[in-house]
Amino acid sequence: MGIVVRAPFPRRGRLLNVVRNTFRHLFLGAARNWMRNLGATAPALGSMTLLLLLSGLVGLTAYAVQSLAAAQAGEAAVLHVYLRDDAKPDDVTALRARLAGDHRVASVSLTSKADALKRAQHRPGMADLAGAVEDNPFPASLDVRVRSVQDVGPLADAVDSSPPVDPILPTSYNPGANDRIQKALLIAGITGGAFLLLLGFVAVTVTANSIRAAIHARQNEVAIMQLVGAPRWMVRGPFLVEGAMTGGIAGLAAGLVTLLAGVAVVAAGRSSFAQIAPGVGFGVCLVAAAVVVLAGLVLGSVASLLSVHRQLET
Amino acid sequence: MPALVELVGATHQYGERVAIDDVHLALRPGELAFLVGPSGAGKTTLLKLINREVRPTSGEVWIDGLPAHALRPSRIAELRRRVGVVYQDYKLLPRLTALENVAFGLQVADLGVADAEAHDRALDALEAVGLGDRAGSFPAELSGGQQQRVAIARAVVAQPPVLVADEPTGNLDLETAWQVMKLMEQISRFGTTVLIATHNLDIVRRMQRRVLTLVEGRLVRDQPAGRVGRLAWASS
Repeated sequence: MGIVVRAPFPRRGRLLNVVRNTFRHLFLGAARNWMRNLGATAPALGSMTLLLLLSGLVGLTAYAVQSLAAAQAGEAAVLHVYLRDDAKPDDVTALRARLAGDHRVASVSLTSKADALKRAQHRPGMADLAGAVEDNPFPASLDVRVRSVQDVGPLADAVDSSPPVDPILPTSYNPGANDRIQKALLIAGITGGAFLLLLGFVAVTVTANSIRAAIHARQNEVAIMQLVGAPRWMVRGPFLVEGAMTGGIAGLAAGLVTLLAGVAVVAAGRSSFAQIAPGVGFGVCLVAAAVVVLAGLVLGSVASLLSVHRQLET
Repeated sequence: MPALVELVGATHQYGERVAIDDVHLALRPGELAFLVGPSGAGKTTLLKLINREVRPTSGEVWIDGLPAHALRPSRIAELRRRVGVVYQDYKLLPRLTALENVAFGLQVADLGVADAEAHDRALDALEAVGLGDRAGSFPAELSGGQQQRVAIARAVVAQPPVLVADEPTGNLDLETAWQVMKLMEQISRFGTTVLIATHNLDIVRRMQRRVLTLVEGRLVRDQPAGRVGRLAWASS
């Protein structure tokens, strides 16, 4: 008779020790040092928070502008042919058939005066205006979806003298308007992108300097660690984590403010808001906040990676 | 028995100045040797070559089978974990206690060591150097001799095959210096190769171990153990 002794799991135990020691050296050590150097880190933290917040708000604006651009692009391919109030149904049918048979046209639909009024009432800011007048001021129209935006102008020219078409405002075609809008959006996009790049550069530089200062302050400690054979990751890792912590905390603060600002604007009134920032809702604000947090983490890590690489090359 | 430390025509220059000049040297496991010579002879540089703090300008340096002369920066830590180093200025981490400093040396070498085991082994090492009762003290609370012994405990706690010491008795009184040397001798008996750079010729003569004499970067004399008499450079 013997006693069966359960064998321990040395490998598992060893693995746990490695994980525990790694966590302690990397994360607890970094957190301790970060707290200890909070005075030196505070300027970087503040700058990064501000820069990330600006980035978040610029990002939300960029999204709204992009939504507007997409809406404009979609709208540009639709030609509204406005019909006279006294247009004969046969003339309208004939014009509709003529347009439908045109190879440049993808589809044609008729919007009656009543539908035009309903549509106007759903437009932001138009509900009151549409209800303020006794008569329906909105004309019926043939809405022509054109295959290529380039064909909108020729098609408008081809229909503006047709009998059922309103002679004062025959179509929605406004030569050059779309180009002007697209150009303005492009300039806004490039300016916004350049601004974001500049913000990113400043954020990385400020954080890199703070990490460099931290490395400088702990130069002796770092040298001793290297001399006793600490592996590279053990020497560099805590600085990387410190940078990521600075970026992450700045990102959390900036992300929260971005979310609150976005939600506040959404809550301020959907009708007026949709005109200021079309396409931006709670979900978009949440994604923007998450992106800001992530950007903070990445920027902080990249900044510390740069300083660690420069300062600690053996 | 193959050499644990081997220098083959090792040369190191700081700019134009030759600090180590074509040194050939082999140290076997368990061997204790002294490195002597006047100031500026290149003793510290030779120890730095062994710990790969500097790379030889030419020649080869082999440590426990690792080519220190051709090692990539990412593998330097691996070599340093095979070489325990004791510095004259101790190089202890000031924010850690004596015990934590020693345990750090152990866990740096092997992350798989559990905290309890690291604690016990660090305490054993401190007791071996006579500092078991000062384990909780910070370096600033210890005398120079005590800090030196903590540094020795840290250097040997992971049982590296090679131990080098740069003037380990430089800041110690004669009695403490002698205790430190006896400790080094004990360590070598367990198979560790020990190389000690020192100016303390009294100790060198009393120990009667192998003596390597460096003058102007050249290894001018290699006296075997038990036959250490006059030290040529010292009397000139």
